[in-house]
Amino acid sequence: MAGESISVMKIRGLLLVTVPPDPDDLTISSLQEKVLDAMERTQARGLVLDISTVQTLDSFFARTVAETVQMVSLMGGRTVLAGMQANVAVTATQLGLTLGRAETALDVDRAFDRLLAGPTRGPGK
Amino acid sequence: MNEPMQGEFTIATEGDIVTARRLVREAAVAIGFGFVDVTRIVTAASELTRNIYHYAGSGVMRWNVVSDGGREGLELVFEDHGPGIADVDKAMEPGFSTGKGLGLGLPGARRLMDEMTIKSKVGVGTTVRVQKWVKK
Amino acid sequence: MPSKGKSSKNSTSETGAALGTEESFRLLVDSVRDYAIVMLDTHGIVVSWNEGAQRIKGYKPEEIIGKDFICFYPPEAIERGLPKRELEAAAKEGRFEDEGWRLRKDGSRFWANVILSALRDREGTLRGYAKVTRDLTERRQAEDRIRQQSREIMELSTPVMQVWEGIVTAPLIGSLDSQRTQQFMERLLNRIVETNSPVALVDIMGVPTIDTQTAQHLIETISAVRLLGAQVVLTGVRPAIAQTLVHLGIDLSGIITRSSLAAGIQVALDMLNLHVVPKKAEN
Repeated sequence: MAGESISVMKIRGLLLVTVPPDPDDLTISSLQEKVLDAMERTQARGLVLDISTVQTLDSFFARTVAETVQMVSLMGGRTVLAGMQANVAVTATQLGLTLGRAETALDVDRAFDRLLAGPTRGPGK
Repeated sequence: MNEPMQGEFTIATEGDIVTARRLVREAAVAIGFGFVDVTRIVTAASELTRNIYHYAGSGVMRWNVVSDGGREGLELVFEDHGPGIADVDKAMEPGFSTGKGLGLGLPGARRLMDEMTIKSKVGVGTTVRVQKWVKK
Repeated sequence: MPSKGKSSKNSTSETGAALGTEESFRLLVDSVRDYAIVMLDTHGIVVSWNEGAQRIKGYKPEEIIGKDFICFYPPEAIERGLPKRELEAAAKEGRFEDEGWRLRKDGSRFWANVILSALRDREGTLRGYAKVTRDLTERRQAEDRIRQQSREIMELSTPVMQVWEGIVTAPLIGSLDSQRTQQFMERLLNRIVETNSPVALVDIMGVPTIDTQTAQHLIETISAVRLLGAQVVLTGVRPAIAQTLVHLGIDLSGIITRSSLAAGIQVALDMLNLHVVPKKAEN
């Protein structure tokens, strides 16, 4: 799918981006741009990246996510990666991928709870 | 007849990386790999296809079933006429960078697959062959 | 060939056929049901077909005599030139044996043991080939069943159980090798996702030592759990394992450990903002 458009939603002062199951490189790059643009416009306190339908997480995706996390952090926000699939986690670990300083959560619900609760604590950090 | 377990695919555009993933996924599922192994194979293919696109501009991915006595597997071959790799051993070291800030994803792909062979000549091109066997 | 003078009990036109003649050999071959016995000419064209061949491969004699034997091979074998190579090997060595997938008339696959023999006349000229095929599908299914059972045994010995909402526990016992650890990792991750549990208590009190590779997989498991959005609490680390882990030289600062499973439960409850309230004693 060429350049699938990703929508960035603002919910309760946070940004939510739902990543499609198999995004191409263009879509992944545009995700970064859209997030940073939205961070500036909305002054959001954080970003939840919903990756619960993502089937393949390769080094390009990981790198882009790690960069995005850093950029969001520089703009004063926290990022939580939500809902990674089990087999994606196995593969990503074997590939030696780090997702930067991204926090992780089992699902979008918990990701929101974490970000809205305030200072960092608890599992996934 | 739709025969997903073998084929050939030309890589020339960025969008071809996704198509390559989809073709490899279909092949791996058809051969009978487990859920996690399918993800491993698709991810390795993604890395190696992207290499072709970024370093050589274009190339070919071929795939077919392999059998060896009692076991079966999938073989993927990535061939390009790009710049070639000067020092293959070095490229296989984790942390290797080509200066664009990108590694070649080769050590990672190697870890995900069971076997990997690389033939490369500077100025001529590169062929990467990987195999994974169905776990019994 | 000298006739033995015995008559068969059949009251067909074969009555009186002597055993040991070419005719009776043909009857023998024809009647064998468990083996496909097929004759090929020097080019691999089917020239004879017995009852076993019909039973195993599905073709009736009139449907297959005159056809090339490569139709028995799956596409990937034809691609690699296997049929031709098998004929060449049989011609050279006299005999060629192989196990592999073959196709039935309906396109379905079966696992076959095949023996190809070169047939030569008295002058040594190659006249054709005899091909004996056995359907080993049942044997292979039995082997698969055994492998499946081994897997199940392995699963039973490294269980992952949900002990409370949000907490899964995995007490590992015995020696851990790479394969067992990898399977454990996949199972643990799947259970965490299935049960939506942010905490995984992994107790290794029952594991006396591990080698470097297994230690690596254990660390990978802990990292993978983190990627999901959950946390491993490792308990019962024995001295030998502590040594191996530290000698690996990796960053262990993110790993939460406690000496016992009980202490680990306390950490899990803290993480989930839960604590145990004793019931008031009855008066």
